[in-house]
Amino acid sequence: MTGDVCLSVEHIWKVFGTRPDRAIEMVGRGATREEVHQATGCTIGVRDVSFDVGRGETFVVMGLSGSGKSTLIRCVSRLNEVTSGRVVLDGEDLTAMSDDQLRQVRRHKMSMVFQHFGLFPHRRVIDNAAYGLEIQGVDKDERYERANKVLEVVGLRGWEQSYPQQLSGGMQQRVGLARALTVDPEILFFDEPFSALDPLIRRDMQDELIRLQETLQRTIVFITHDFAEAIKLGDRIAIMKDGAFDQVGTATQLITDPATDYVQEFTKEIPKAKVLTTAAVLKPGRGGPNGRIVRLDDTLEGLLPALLEDESEIGVEDSDGKTVGVVDRQAVAKALEPDR
Amino acid sequence: MTDVLQPTEVALAKEETRRSRFGWWWLALLAGVVLLQYLVSSTAVPPLWDTAISGPIDQFATWARENRQIHPIFTGFFIPFSAAVDWGLTTIEAFLKWLPWFVLPLVVFLVIFRTGNWKMATVATLSMVYPGLVGLWDTTMETLSLMAIAVLIALAIGIPLGVLAARRPSVERLIRPVLDAMQTIPAPVYFIPVVLFFGIRRVPATIATVIYSLPPAVRLTTLGIQGVPQQSVEASDMFGSTPRQTLFKVQLPMAMPTIMTGINQTIMMALGIVVLATLLGAGGLGQEVLEALNQRRTGRGLAAGLAIVAVAMVLDRVGRSLAFADRTRPASRRYVFTSLLLVIGAIIVGRAMGWVTFPEVWEVSVFDPVDTAVRWGRDNLSFITRPVNDFIVAGLLIPVRDFLTLTVAWPVLLFVTGFICWRLKGVGLAIFSIFALLLVGLIGMWALSLETLTQVLAAVVISVAIAIPVGIWAGRNRRVDAALTPILDALQTIPSFVFIIPVILLFTVGQVPGIIAAVLYAIVPGIRITALGIRQVPEESIEASQTFGATPRQTMFGVRIPLAAPTIIAAVNQVIMMVLAMVIIAGLVGGGALGFETVRAVTRGETGLGFEVGISIVVMAIILDRLTYAWAMRLQPPTPSH
Ligand SMILES: Nc1ncnc2c1ncn2[C@@H]1O[C@H](COP(=O)(O)OP(=O)(O)OP(=O)(O)O)[C@@H](O)[C@H]1O
Ligand SMILES: [Mg+2]
Repeated sequence: MTGDVCLSVEHIWKVFGTRPDRAIEMVGRGATREEVHQATGCTIGVRDVSFDVGRGETFVVMGLSGSGKSTLIRCVSRLNEVTSGRVVLDGEDLTAMSDDQLRQVRRHKMSMVFQHFGLFPHRRVIDNAAYGLEIQGVDKDERYERANKVLEVVGLRGWEQSYPQQLSGGMQQRVGLARALTVDPEILFFDEPFSALDPLIRRDMQDELIRLQETLQRTIVFITHDFAEAIKLGDRIAIMKDGAFDQVGTATQLITDPATDYVQEFTKEIPKAKVLTTAAVLKPGRGGPNGRIVRLDDTLEGLLPALLEDESEIGVEDSDGKTVGVVDRQAVAKALEPDR
Repeated sequence: MTDVLQPTEVALAKEETRRSRFGWWWLALLAGVVLLQYLVSSTAVPPLWDTAISGPIDQFATWARENRQIHPIFTGFFIPFSAAVDWGLTTIEAFLKWLPWFVLPLVVFLVIFRTGNWKMATVATLSMVYPGLVGLWDTTMETLSLMAIAVLIALAIGIPLGVLAARRPSVERLIRPVLDAMQTIPAPVYFIPVVLFFGIRRVPATIATVIYSLPPAVRLTTLGIQGVPQQSVEASDMFGSTPRQTLFKVQLPMAMPTIMTGINQTIMMALGIVVLATLLGAGGLGQEVLEALNQRRTGRGLAAGLAIVAVAMVLDRVGRSLAFADRTRPASRRYVFTSLLLVIGAIIVGRAMGWVTFPEVWEVSVFDPVDTAVRWGRDNLSFITRPVNDFIVAGLLIPVRDFLTLTVAWPVLLFVTGFICWRLKGVGLAIFSIFALLLVGLIGMWALSLETLTQVLAAVVISVAIAIPVGIWAGRNRRVDAALTPILDALQTIPSFVFIIPVILLFTVGQVPGIIAAVLYAIVPGIRITALGIRQVPEESIEASQTFGATPRQTMFGVRIPLAAPTIIAAVNQVIMMVLAMVIIAGLVGGGALGFETVRAVTRGETGLGFEVGISIVVMAIILDRLTYAWAMRLQPPTPSH
């Protein structure tokens, strides 16, 4: 991890049940989740997970139902207490904080967006959005002003006086998003925020989030069970299974170099040409004979016209316009090969 | 096939052993009965402890009466408390009587009209005027102020308690059995200890009302708060709310509809009991009814009874329009403002012009014609009422009572009850029942309790015979259901006591009016719950049965009724509890047995007797309640265990 680390999660465990020590010890001896449950009645929610998230990075955790994603994000935000391990936010150990300290951190540094929105049906949209400021004790005029600004950004202008249940699902989640953004948090937690929405609306919301993130540059931990969504949003992606991470990496790393069969299961379904970029097939070289140039962050699909026209090597340059290598048909063909 | 048994096989095997064993148990029961009946000839438990309980309690009561003015527990707590409650009562009553009479109907109209339902608003307003029309305005205000204070106290205790229970599981565990007990015990039983500590008249009536109406306030508050989606609470936490902020900004507002329903129920329960509480000498509408009935002035009794119904309806409608107000459409500021202006204007004009008391000229005299009509009815309908009366008394009550009290030896009854409890529930309930019944006998309440039990059984049999078929019918037929709903709604709003009035008019006093009133009162939940059970049977099961070519009859008896059975038994449970409460109330009108003893104990201050009666009623209530509950549980299909 290069640059400034915002959130650092160190060896956290979460065991539900009355005998967590025995459960952890059994896992140490190689027992599976089922065996532990049989023997102790405990459920392993999170099993020794560590990761860092850089400032401004979007870190996505992807896994199937029951893999422990929610438990993980709830431990990180301390909605659940961890069984062991540390969560460090901006150099402060969240897991060791008193309730009061935690409240202060929550008021000023973090926000969460929930799968089923978790809106307050008795409050108008504007009062939902201004909730965090109200809790901080910000006076009415200022909090309405700030909430109004955010509502406008998420496209809810004109709906301020409505009640959440008068809005469609997609718009309700925009309220959830606005509510989280109004307090101007350092880090945002999303627990499957778009899973309850239908596919078209979901895509809109993903695009919206990408657009917002371009200007906001917040640190985000995003949970999803949809690999396509993970690839679309995540700078890095963690694949979670049975409470532990199978692999952490960029979309390209996961696709080109899956660590386990489980990870490969997901990547198989993915249209690679749309996901992989030139960087994944880069070869050393100093430019092609025909002087044609492509960009390092073009997708392979975007390369196709150039590749079809030009049989020889094509030069690749980075965002600063410096030539960094070449691509050719063989490299691309190999990367797109179906059964790898 | 592995060596693991399939769940169905296990269940079948268990069923098999249970059945075959059951045959033996019946034999054992029979043998026990014959043996005990042969060995013991006495039909009543010897009242060895006749004064063991009543004696000390009477002593204590005497002590309390003598020391009421001097002992610190009275001077330090009960007397100041009573004084405060009494002050509240006097103030509210004075205020209500100070208000020009038309203000209250106006407020009723404005509150309901806010929801846009002008029909309901008009009906409720007219109902509010009705007591005035029959000359009962002041009496109604007395009842209303007693209720207002009782409800305020009940809410002031109940809502915080409910909040606490929702947030602390330990508190909930503690108060749940207490609330259960409070709802199992028929109300008049409360009166006795209340009288002991607060003396007679309005304050004890208020306290009894508070106790009786407290459970829904607590329960529905807890329910409402627990019903707030976890995510909303966590969202609030995630913004760094303190628990207090979460409570006041999220949990309470989101629980409001449920809490309002609780308030509505509290009000309705309070009204139901406030009328009875007039037994304690509190005046008001109940007193009016009671006196009228005792003096055979039926017209007046009927008018007062209808006034109670009218008040019940008004309160229910007002409560509902507040509870179910659409939150996304709050009343416009203008509406609230105009309403306030109207009310204040009405007060000023009314006071200035001296239009305060309900104008006499308006008082419609309906009493005499009603008296005549009722007399006519009693004389001319006797060809129906007499046979019904005779059938119930001679055909049901006397034979059963004589069988229980004159034929069966007392150990047989204990043995049979214990046996049934053991088979249906377990050893715990069996032991409890045997000892509890023994206690009832030892304190000398055996014969009276059996007589009450006879009445209860008669009323339950009649109620069930009506409620279950009607309920099944309503559950299957939407049109029947639609036709019944408003009637049942209306019946359910009427305080239990009022049911006695029309019945007593036709049957005069005796055991039968009490039983018929109990039936009328109890069939409402009986029908409701049965219909619900039938309707809740999953459509899939019905269709599955139909695809096998089952006739509607086969589907009914093979699928619907078995699947609805637990709910139907729950309906029977409810019927029993309501009948029990009502049979006690029937003591007021010559029902005899425990009910009569209750009345005597309360009105004459025979505290020891009151406790004995109370113990007997509670024992009966608990055994019947637990038994039917266990029976319903037994019929529940086994749930897969994890
Ligand atoms: N409070 C709890 N008590 C006991 N077990 C729990 C609790 N919460 C979660 N679990 C268990 O922990 C495991 C992981 O659950 P979790 O909700 O984190 O999964 P998830 O990946 O978020 O799944 P989903 O996609 O369904 O939300 C599950 O086996 C679940 O049953
Ligand atoms: Mg989840």
